[in-house]
Amino acid sequence: MVGATASRNGWMIWLTFAIGMLLSVSPLPQFMEILRPLWLALLLAFWALALPQKVGMVTAWCLGLAEDVLYGTLLGQNALILTLITFLVLSLQQRLRMFPMWQQSLVILVIFGLAQLVQLWLSALTGNRQPTLALVLPALVSALLWPWISFGLRGLRRRYKIN
Amino acid sequence: MRLLVLVVLSVALMVVDARFTLLKPVRSQMSLVLMQSYWITDLPQRLWQGVASQFGSRTELVAENEKLKTENLLLQGRMQKLAALTEQNVRLRELLNSSALVNEKVEVAELIGMDPNPFTHRIIINKGERDGVVLGQPVLDARGLMGQVVELMPYTSRVLLLTDTTHSIPVQVNRNGLRAIASGTGNPERLELRHVADTADIKEGDLLVSSGLGQRFPAGYPVATVKEVIHDSGQPFAIVRAVPTAALNRSRYLLLVFSDTRTPEERANDAAQAQENLDAQGGGPIIPATVPKPAAVIAPAAAAVPATAPAATPAKPAATTPVKPAAAHPAAAKPPATAPAAKPPATQPAVVKPAAKPPVSAPATTGGRE
Repeated sequence: MVGATASRNGWMIWLTFAIGMLLSVSPLPQFMEILRPLWLALLLAFWALALPQKVGMVTAWCLGLAEDVLYGTLLGQNALILTLITFLVLSLQQRLRMFPMWQQSLVILVIFGLAQLVQLWLSALTGNRQPTLALVLPALVSALLWPWISFGLRGLRRRYKIN
Repeated sequence: MRLLVLVVLSVALMVVDARFTLLKPVRSQMSLVLMQSYWITDLPQRLWQGVASQFGSRTELVAENEKLKTENLLLQGRMQKLAALTEQNVRLRELLNSSALVNEKVEVAELIGMDPNPFTHRIIINKGERDGVVLGQPVLDARGLMGQVVELMPYTSRVLLLTDTTHSIPVQVNRNGLRAIASGTGNPERLELRHVADTADIKEGDLLVSSGLGQRFPAGYPVATVKEVIHDSGQPFAIVRAVPTAALNRSRYLLLVFSDTRTPEERANDAAQAQENLDAQGGGPIIPATVPKPAAVIAPAAAAVPATAPAATPAKPAATTPVKPAAAHPAAAKPPATAPAAKPPATQPAVVKPAAKPPVSAPATTGGRE
């Protein structure tokens, strides 16, 4: 039984990533545009915590490239950022799993905030200046969404026994 | 270790992508698949529109039909005058040995997505490299210039809007030809004119048209109207703010402009050829495929600013049509190529004659005689 389920329903993970990608380009009202959560980063963080042997930095990097093509940024920009996020999550994995939800959210806020700062720095290098503080808002929204994403995906994982 | 490799790889990719064109094919191949997601996210709205039009009530449809018919009549009416003005403009320019005969072809594109980054003003349209779109191609909507193509993908392309902070466009005040540069501000309703002297003759309500000086945008398309001019004695230049005429964040259907690659001589020859054909047929429906644009811009100017260019005056007396110029004004900025290529035969003889006459009276008098 255990041997047979070594990698079951792995496609569900990719399905969530595909949905995340759709969400990250879906049209939003103007004022909400600035609050768009980092969907891919959230999903990556969850799966990296849940199945670190399956979703790692290489996955993050590939997804980041896809996001670069979608957003029309330099190839490698979002790849770098998602890789960094996944690295931080993986290196804090043992501790994060023990934390209560609000604490997890806090850590996510810090990690995503850092990533957004790197994003700001990179886009300043390439000439697209952006207002500084507003850029941390997506990290905040993502952190607020984290508990729901986390519960939802955990339910999904239990239901389909993804591992 | 893996992190290090990936980071180095990303940085290398970024540098290569920024400096060389090596990665363009990779990007366009990836976009072939990935750009579908914009299409998918756009799907609900598309479906909703489909459903709405399916179940639109009959009275609504009839009303809309009526409205479109009226609008069509108005535009047809304007086309008649436009054709005469166009011919006249061509002839006058020939007399002046001027080469600014612009004959553009346009194609309709549809918006399929907005850039998710709120700090850039870019949109994604459903026409790409395979449809003949080229880098830097100007994009219009029904009311004015919107922006230019900055990234090509096989079936989609990315358009940088005028109001993006990294975008500037050379413009001209339509009233007196004063040149300036309009830069985007990051606000979809605001452009700013850079380095306009405090004493420059520019005032609220002036229409700014593209001057064509940057070799990127064709000359004469409406860009913005001046909203306020602030003279601050502490500042070296006047602060001029303008509102783009195009509905930058509302338009769904856009026009891609393919500019004419013919040389001035070829254009003149073609015009002469068309004229000969016309004469031979005694007023047949042949005309240079699309109507040149300068005349189109003159029309709104005539309604907005009375008594400016002499060529604009004949646009007012609408002898042959039941059209009131003032009522027609808002639609006047519509690019001409959307209008039918063939013009009503009634004005054809009038077009042929005015060549030798003084330009101002020509179409008006012929119009009066008919």
